This record gives sequence, C-alpha cells and structure tokens, in this order.
Amino acid sequence: MKKVMFVGSIALFLFSAVANAHGPVRQKTEEQITINAPAAIVWDIIKNYGDMSWHPDIFNTTSTGGNVKGATRVLTLKDGATITEELKKYDEAKMTYAYKITDISTAKTIVHAGVEEKVPALPVDNYSASIEVEAKGDTSVVSWTAGYYRAYTNNNPPVEMNEETANAAVGAVIKTGLFNLKSLAEK
Amino acid sequence: MFLPKYQVVAILIATTFFIEPLAAAPFAYISNQLGNSVSIIDAASGKVVDTIGVQGKPAGVAVAPAGDRVYISTPEANGFAVLDTKKRAIVAEVPVSEGALGIAVGADGKHVYVADWYNNKVDVVDADSFKIIKTIAVGQSPSGLIVSPDNRWLYVANRLSNSVSKIDLSTLTVTKTTFVGTHPFGLTIDGRGERIYVANVKSDDVTVLEARRLLLIATVKVSTLPYATALAVNDSRLLVTNQDDGSVSVIDTETLKEMAVIEVGSKPEGINTHPDDRHVYVANWFDNTVSVIDAKVLRVIDTIKTGQGSRAFGQFFGK
Repeated sequence: MKKVMFVGSIALFLFSAVANAHGPVRQKTEEQITINAPAAIVWDIIKNYGDMSWHPDIFNTTSTGGNVKGATRVLTLKDGATITEELKKYDEAKMTYAYKITDISTAKTIVHAGVEEKVPALPVDNYSASIEVEAKGDTSVVSWTAGYYRAYTNNNPPVEMNEETANAAVGAVIKTGLFNLKSLAEK
Repeated sequence: MFLPKYQVVAILIATTFFIEPLAAAPFAYISNQLGNSVSIIDAASGKVVDTIGVQGKPAGVAVAPAGDRVYISTPEANGFAVLDTKKRAIVAEVPVSEGALGIAVGADGKHVYVADWYNNKVDVVDADSFKIIKTIAVGQSPSGLIVSPDNRWLYVANRLSNSVSKIDLSTLTVTKTTFVGTHPFGLTIDGRGERIYVANVKSDDVTVLEARRLLLIATVKVSTLPYATALAVNDSRLLVTNQDDGSVSVIDTETLKEMAVIEVGSKPEGINTHPDDRHVYVANWFDNTVSVIDAKVLRVIDTIKTGQGSRAFGQFFGK
C-alpha cells in the first residue's frame, strides 16, 4: 500500500493547504473488520485520538487537546510526510470518533495541463472519516468510513490526483489499519 | 357480469390509472450519487417506493412545477437526466456541459438552468426541445441555483468567488453580483421573494440577503461546513445542513439567531421542505439515509434508508 500512497514523497517540508474546492463527486470508502476480542479491548487500543501508533504506517503522532472536539493531531508517516487532522466528534459511550484532515504535506510536484500541481501525500481533498467499535458478544466489529474528494479539484485530473488513485490510497490506509488493529487486539 | 372483454380492459385501465403514483403525491426524489440512482420517497408512507437507475453520478435535483418531471444533474455524464414521474423512468439524457452540478427549473416549467462548476457559467436549457438557448457567464464554481417565486430572477451561488449573482430571466443577463461569506454553496428564497439565505461552506455561516438589490441583512453563524438551506413553517424557520457536524441548524428568521441544532445523519447535504411546509427532509450522504425533521417541534421523526451517497442538492420535492 505504501507503494500507492507514498512513493515520491520527498518534498517533506513543503506543506500545502488543503484546497477548498469540491469536485462534483465525493468518494466514499467503508471497511469493516470482525475482531475476536471484546469491544472494550479494541476500543482501548484506538480510543486516544492523540495516539495512532496502532497503525503501521504512522511513524509518530503529536497532538493537542486530548479527546475533546477540536483537538488536533499531526501524523508523521514513515517517509516523513505529515497529515494534520482535527477531531470533530468523540463519543466514549458509543466507542466512536470522527475527524477531518486539515492539512497534508506535498509528496511531489507535477506539471499537468501546463500548470504545476502539488500532489498531496494522501491524494485526497476535503477528507473526513469516522471509526467505530461495536460489541458483538465476545467479539467486536470495527467500522472505518471515509468521505473525500479527489485531490485535483478542476476538470480532467492527472492520474496522480484522480478518483482511482484517491480510492486506492484511502482503501489501503484503512485496510492496513484495520488488519493491524485486529492482530493487536487478538494477541 | 357479462361484460364484453373490452369493457373489462377499460375498467382495469381506469382503475390502474387512478391508483398510479399521481394520486399519492407528494414524493421526494433523492439522488444517490455513488449509487447512480434516485430513490423516490412517498412522503405519506415514509417509504422508498421506487429506485430508478441514473448514470453519471446524479447530484442536483429540480422537480418541474407541474410535478411531471424531475431534472437530475449528472456531473459525470456532463448534463442532466429527465425522470418522468408517471412512468417512473428516465425519458431523456440531456448533454449540457462537463461540470453540470446545480440545477433549477423555472416557475413556469419552461426552462432548466444548469450551473457548470468547472466553466463558470449557467446554461439555460429549453424544457421542451432540450436545446441550450443561452449560456450566461457567472462567478467561479457556480453551485446552488434558485428561481424567485415570481419567475423573474435566478440566483446563483458562486462558490470560489464568494458571491451571489442575480440573473434577470427575461433578458438572461446578470444584473448584480454581491459578496457573501466564504464559499457559498446552497441557497434558498422565501415565499415572497424578499430574502435569500445562502450557506457558506468555508466561513461556517449563512448570509441573509435582501433579494431585490442583494443587500446584506445579516450573517448568522451555524455549525461546521453548512451546505444548503430550506425554509419551513411559513418562512419563520430556516434549516441549514451542517455537513461536518451531522446536524441541522435551525434559525429563527425574525431574530436571525440560531434557535436549535438537530442531530441528523452523517454528512447531511441536500435539504428541502415538504409541501405541507412543516416537514423538512435531509439527505445524509454518509449514512445513505434521509432524515425527516418536524420543523414545528424541532426533532427528527423518521429516518428513511435510501441509496449510496444520498446528495439531493436542490428542490427535490414534487408539489
């Protein structure tokens, strides 16, 4: 998955503001995984918004604001790319929280239609997601869903910034995270 | 008992005719963008009575005043689809241009207006011939469209220009453009054509404009990523979908203050009021549902399962 997502993320410190235009079609990725461990154990692994060490692609997380709406976290990926996120909802009782990306570092710059375009390390725009743990007897089901637009907000996107690329990257992040969460919880 | 065959057939046809959909109006037409379909909700039963396939990622919805057709913008098919409400079938696919998103129909039903997100224009399409009769340049990334009740004006929210334009529908020219909040998207107009309410996605507020000269009346703070607006209860309440908050803000249009925040589904987008002027329907993109709000008592009274990525951006209720 890192191949899809992070190849060429060398411009580590060039931050691009998340563009604010919406292309007409928002994309959605939804994944669920059944974990053979009680919900409380699974929730315990992911419940701290400022700690995303359970995800193998995240090298480091720094955060401010704890588990309260408005809290921010900066995820540093293994290659140094960063994703900044804001906590939008947090519900301990329902074992769920929702967040949105506010900034993504640039992976590379390409020229498309005669214009330089910054390709974000996660090639999406206006990304928000939620994760939820649901008890199913002694096991649990974790659902992770994300809604986002492709990174290119004008017409005729380059392949690096089109819907397929966005969906592949987001799908990879979510699947990798869920698989690892399962293996951590079932240990 | 000994009716000739043709009489039996005639009676059957007549009976069938009278139990056809028209009798049970109103219906809400909900575009499911990722599902490439439109869910038809019978508002009386709160059930989806039909789901019609629409290719091209259907987004915007505009029901013709006569209720016989629904125009559905299809951004990936570069135009709009025409749904015949009696046949419950797509009867035409009209190419317009590549960024077709916002859509509205004139109060006389003669013209369909399509905002082109990419090319900064509004196309005026004849509702009979489906020919483009005029292209009007507007601001950047035009999105929401609303026609005044007297059919004289068309208002356009220009998202990236942070403005609203007013188009004279007799001359098909822009007569005025005014700045609003940051990234205006959906907008509505009151029953007397006096006020415009525009949701500003980026500045998390609603701009209230006097409709005639587009003068600013107020800016009302709401929750995060407000998307679209609808009026109910004799224009006394404005309901605003807060995309990022999974809620609807209710604004008292007299005091222009937020009076309630109602939790709905995740990523609420399109919002429109039932012709009874009391029930407001909200399409929840993330949840694939529609929430029904009773705008008098300010709570959700029903949640209806629709299709993938319910968006329903526009006037999706048949009268």
